[in-house]
Amino acid sequence: MMAEVLRIENLDKSFGGVRALKKVSLTLNEGEIVALLGDNGAGKSTLIKVISGVHSVDSGKIYMHGRPITVRSARDAIDLGIETIHQDTSLAPDLSIARNLFLGREPVKLGFLGVFAPLDRGRLRQAATNLLRRVGISKALDANAPIRTLSGGERQSIAISRAMQFAARVIILDEPTNNLGVEETHGVLRFMKEMRDSGHCVLFITHNIHHVFEVADRIVVMRGGEVVAEVVVADTDLLTVESIITGADFSQLLKEAKGARKS
Amino acid sequence: MALLTDDIQTRKRAWPKALTSPEFSSFVILCVVLAGFSIANDRFLSPLNVSNMMAFLPELGIIALGMTLLLTAGEFDLSVGAVFALGPVIVMLLVQNAGLGLGWALMAGLIVCVLIGAVNGIIVTKIGISSFLVTLSMLFVVRGLALYITQGFPLKSWDQPGLLVTLLAGSFAVGTFRFYTSLWWYVALTLLAIYVLNYAKLGNWISAIGSNRSAAVARGVPADRVKIALFVLTSVLAGLAGMISAFRISAASPVAGTDYELEVIAMVVVGGTSLTGGRGTILGTLFGALLLRAIRNGIVLIGVPGLAFNIFVGAIILAMLVLHALMQKRVGGVSR
Repeated sequence: MMAEVLRIENLDKSFGGVRALKKVSLTLNEGEIVALLGDNGAGKSTLIKVISGVHSVDSGKIYMHGRPITVRSARDAIDLGIETIHQDTSLAPDLSIARNLFLGREPVKLGFLGVFAPLDRGRLRQAATNLLRRVGISKALDANAPIRTLSGGERQSIAISRAMQFAARVIILDEPTNNLGVEETHGVLRFMKEMRDSGHCVLFITHNIHHVFEVADRIVVMRGGEVVAEVVVADTDLLTVESIITGADFSQLLKEAKGARKS
Repeated sequence: MALLTDDIQTRKRAWPKALTSPEFSSFVILCVVLAGFSIANDRFLSPLNVSNMMAFLPELGIIALGMTLLLTAGEFDLSVGAVFALGPVIVMLLVQNAGLGLGWALMAGLIVCVLIGAVNGIIVTKIGISSFLVTLSMLFVVRGLALYITQGFPLKSWDQPGLLVTLLAGSFAVGTFRFYTSLWWYVALTLLAIYVLNYAKLGNWISAIGSNRSAAVARGVPADRVKIALFVLTSVLAGLAGMISAFRISAASPVAGTDYELEVIAMVVVGGTSLTGGRGTILGTLFGALLLRAIRNGIVLIGVPGLAFNIFVGAIILAMLVLHALMQKRVGGVSR
């Protein structure tokens, strides 16, 4: 049995009169990739934003390694080891690669000066260069280049490197392969596998079901703000999952079609 | 994880880095303008004229520092011109009519500025109304307040010299040049602003907030608190500049600083700070402030008639912005 890392119980969240999350429960284990599926408006992004501290919950509990935690802000989530790579980009285009990698956790000198403390530019550049080299993208990128000069795939890999660098226990990716080319997509999928193999738990949202079958161990399907199914990838097939997502029973239709053909 | 197919060669810059910075183009433009005016009229660089320019420079320049930081964070403040008037009006009213000591009165004036900035910042960040609308409304409120408490008349002229007055608006001579202490304030505040924006952690946050607010928030940067603090700072600097100006000319007027908000924003943008946030340069703002001051002063010297004055100011600013954009394009400051 794999060790449980993050467990959420009966999470509720409403925006005005709309219930975006209804009693959502979910468990994430060490060393597994969980795909979060569902149609637009199913509540996937809301769930992720709650876990990463962007939204607060109305009720429900979150446990990390069995201990109850409260995630009031993005800062809390990061400090707990939950790294989130948001849809499109979570980078500031006008800042350099190095400054983006350490945004919110800048190495400083004279720390007692608080927000007025000077950035430790030497350490910043050194750490950024090391990190880029570790993830294998150092030769092509200058740590001082602003993000706006990079392509979509390069940006995504910078965001991913940042999640890696803080050795987060939980990595959440919101549609990480959106707008990426074929090669870049494979890079992202490979990264997820690497993170799983090093014992992290990875939760990702996608609309591409083929990617799910390529990397995920478990699938959680949401519809109308509820978790409607949890399946192990090895025990299911593409059609079944698609029918759960849309709520239409394709397998039933298929059976009927087959039966019709037989008769 | 080799996600990257690009090759390092493609990122080589056509021009050396220093030449591609936005402040460099402002600097070139400034030099051209200064040279042009000095050739057109040799009195432009005379001690008297330089002293004159230096007396006015800090007053708008100090406001421009706050405005640069605020614009870099993605907001701006249209109420600075009105605060410029209200600050000194409160101070002088308290001293002349309520008999308060000057120190207390200055503090009270600055506290009012803090409150104005805080209200601007809180409404913009917590209620989510654009800073254009919030600070435009605040402009009317503050200007109206200044007019009402003075009943529309300039206050009695100031006749009490003292240490605090000297600190704000004293003057000293260097050879044949005459400088005001406000120039020191300006130099010190400029250096401080350069440090904060380019070297401190806070500056990293300010640029990140203006560049992509949700990214900054997702990394745990307290974006709302930073923005509120910058609104307060801008307002306080506007009030301080107003007090410096009022004590220099020994009078506070409720209509002082009319249209200053736009001139300050022009200085900042001409200097190379992005109007949409994310990229700001204090050095550029310094060049911008010098440029606008030189233009205002220079076109009078070369004999442009008084009523045609603003035509030229506007046209020159527009030309600067176009030139700036062209230079930035040429050096490849914007790509992809």
